[in-house]
Amino acid sequence: MAAVLRNLRPVYVAGIGFHRYQFASATTYVDLGLTAVRAALADAGLAWPAIESAYFAKALLPMAPGRAMLRHLGATGLPIVHVENASASGSAAFRHACMEVAAGLADLSLVVGVDKPMPLAPAERLAGIGGLADDAFAPFTHFALLADAYAARTGASVEDIALVAVKNHRNGARNPFAQHQKERSLEEILGGRKIAGGFTSLQCTPVGEGAAAVIVASEEGLRRQGIDLSRAVRVLSSAGRSQRLYEDATRYDAMLTQETTRIALAEAGVSAADLDVVELHDAFTVEEVEYVEAMGLCPDGQAVPRLKAGEFDIGGRCAVSPSGGLIAMGHPIGPTGVGQIGEITRQLRGEAGDRQQPDARLGLAHMVGIGAVCYVHVLGAV
Amino acid sequence: METPPLLKPGLYRAEGSAARPGQPALLGGVCACGHVFFPLQAYGCERCGGVDLQPRVLSGAGRLLASARVHLHPGKGREAPFTVGSIRLDDGPIVRTLIEGDLGALHPGLAMVTTLVPVADAEGAPRLDLRFAPEGV
Repeated sequence: MAAVLRNLRPVYVAGIGFHRYQFASATTYVDLGLTAVRAALADAGLAWPAIESAYFAKALLPMAPGRAMLRHLGATGLPIVHVENASASGSAAFRHACMEVAAGLADLSLVVGVDKPMPLAPAERLAGIGGLADDAFAPFTHFALLADAYAARTGASVEDIALVAVKNHRNGARNPFAQHQKERSLEEILGGRKIAGGFTSLQCTPVGEGAAAVIVASEEGLRRQGIDLSRAVRVLSSAGRSQRLYEDATRYDAMLTQETTRIALAEAGVSAADLDVVELHDAFTVEEVEYVEAMGLCPDGQAVPRLKAGEFDIGGRCAVSPSGGLIAMGHPIGPTGVGQIGEITRQLRGEAGDRQQPDARLGLAHMVGIGAVCYVHVLGAV
Repeated sequence: METPPLLKPGLYRAEGSAARPGQPALLGGVCACGHVFFPLQAYGCERCGGVDLQPRVLSGAGRLLASARVHLHPGKGREAPFTVGSIRLDDGPIVRTLIEGDLGALHPGLAMVTTLVPVADAEGAPRLDLRFAPEGV
């Protein structure tokens, strides 16, 4: 049987860094990325030449942006690989860095996600299998249909589902790296520009740019650099899956989330009830209510009452998207999955300031990407 | 007046199926394993990977799973507002498309049928395109 991450050499997150997620600007991707990488190196207490491999996550930037950026840290000759996996690009890059370090092929590896808004053309359209009205479906249209079905299934109202955005904008207001940093009332959110179904603009992730970086390390690699594990966070498991055929084919995001989360929790040897903090793919409000149920953070159909009871607030039973999530922190695509690992690490270190989940010991990061693919990582305080 | 040609003749036909002769049929496929799918493709079966895929005419009838009024649309060539829905066909596959007819009555579980509506192709020539609408409206 194939090994799982936890049975290999322990892997840690040793440094995190960000460039704020923001609306498209004249800032080059090189500037965005270098800011995040230098911050991650400084956070870890490492110099660039110590880094042995680099994983560059991007979904929108053109071919081979990695060396053109990283050379400005000093062209050390390290191997660079680009990872594209739609919204899950950063999560996939992180998984592969963890595998390299766990396998002992490197001790210190960089994961950096950078993107800028660019025209988007999913390759699925090139398969030559067109649907009845593909051009009528944007991502928010897909999720507006899911929201309609969720409401019919559970009795949740448009207002109930929009409460996810109230919470996540409140969290984002406390995150200096978030694209949206403003608390919003339910009235403000519901009164915004109508997008599709019950969605208004503040219930949808903003399109933007930014960067996030993390340093993946072995204990040996850190010690060699004179660094102990006092601020390190252990990567307990890594799971990646892709969509299968499901009985309710419209809910493939939730079904895929359920099976990927189940694998990641089992490999980490923990249960959903043990989680203190979760960062999930809340590009649209309905996703959070679907996924907390799929992950087992609450029973089916109970996400709204639990949300209303404050269970997913910072300070609640399990803080969900304390960074603000994709809705408030933003979703620049390549960086997003890396940024989730950064937020979980910050929380498990107890360094999240006024958005700190008290006594956070165990965290989970979850992304889905068009295709669909799904990644779940479980991290634990050392 | 001459009937305009279909906009996407590879996906549907004006003639109905044996089960639903009154509704334009969809052009799907079936694998030797029994998996029924839409649209027809020859690459391989998503369930079993087999390549013994045959055309299967699918009835233009199903049940609404979900619908949404779209107020903002980023693509060119289609003006919002419009309504989309997902429909589970009586023959199994789920399709997503545009909804016509009495939009106020839409709710999950509603019986839906196909209908052909006049549209223009990219060059402005008249065509007929397939939509779903509540049955009996």
